[in-house]
Amino acid sequence: MSKDPLYERLRETSWRRKLTPDEQARLSELLATDSELQSDWENEAGLNRALAELAPVPVSNNFTAQVLAEAKREAAIFERTRRPAMNQVAWWFRWLPKVAVAAVVFAAGVISYQHVQENRREEVAHSLSAISQIPSVPNPEVLEDFDAIVALGSNPPADEELLRVMQ
Amino acid sequence: MSTDLDPDAALMLRVKQGDWGAFAELVDKYKQPVMNLVYRMLRDSTEAEDLAQVVFLQVYKSADRYHVSAKFSTWVFTIARNLCLNEIRRRSRHPADSLEGSQSEHDDQPERQYEDRKAFAAPDALLHGELEQKVEEALAELPENQRTAIVLCRGEELSYEDIAEILGCSVSATKSLIHRGRETLKQRLKPYLRTGSWSKSK
Repeated sequence: MSKDPLYERLRETSWRRKLTPDEQARLSELLATDSELQSDWENEAGLNRALAELAPVPVSNNFTAQVLAEAKREAAIFERTRRPAMNQVAWWFRWLPKVAVAAVVFAAGVISYQHVQENRREEVAHSLSAISQIPSVPNPEVLEDFDAIVALGSNPPADEELLRVMQ
Repeated sequence: MSTDLDPDAALMLRVKQGDWGAFAELVDKYKQPVMNLVYRMLRDSTEAEDLAQVVFLQVYKSADRYHVSAKFSTWVFTIARNLCLNEIRRRSRHPADSLEGSQSEHDDQPERQYEDRKAFAAPDALLHGELEQKVEEALAELPENQRTAIVLCRGEELSYEDIAEILGCSVSATKSLIHRGRETLKQRLKPYLRTGSWSKSK
């Protein structure tokens, strides 16, 4: 049976709550023109009433008190077991900043030492480079007549004018 | 503080801060609807109350994980349904065990006290009770998801979107579950359903 969309919507609404007067009026208009819908609605309404009139399941008067007592009991147990673990955590929180600072200082020291070493290596490298540019020391045999050669160097320079005249 | 905050969400915020009074208020407000759902899922009144208490203990333990944006009723019914499904699965694996085994651990707790509702029942009420039993029996025979959908749908508190979230399916699937469940109930209860009167017909 294909049902009117409005009827379907009102029917689904009636499952959850009572229809408003306006909704009831619109439903009545629909049912007035369709006997099949009317029969279907009678069953729907009957079931709605049956479900609405189901008695609430009995709940003990001290239900809330029992729940609270149990919740407080479990909370107290949880607090007792949590404390040793929390002490351990507190210990870490107390020492962790100090360890972190020490680590930073140590790292700074290491970096500084490495920097100094690097600079020294550079200086040594520069020194070596400078030394490598100095010409090699000549063979000692070359220096045998060194004194004579030096003595030659102390003579006055040649008289070039005289040389020209003589030529 | 936002004035649009759901009252239940406001209470849960206080519970998160350790307010036992707020927790008691929530328990008082939801114990009946939770009990209605749990009983109709488990079909055992004693075990239903034990499990209903566990639902609220779980609510308390999970308070840290509760988000204000979530509707409290949806959240608590989801917890209730999940615990019921766990219990149903546990029963299917160990049919001899029951929750009463754990009850001995709490023998120091006060016994449950109920109002005596049957003491003053008029004859019509007794007849009504008999018909009500028919409805309960018919509900009990439905598949769990259809039964749960119909039970949740009874209260005006939950929208179809809320019910879908609790069941873990779409809104259209939820309506389909309710429709199929209701069709079965109407077939079983047809002799008892009349427009305008609630009387047995043969």
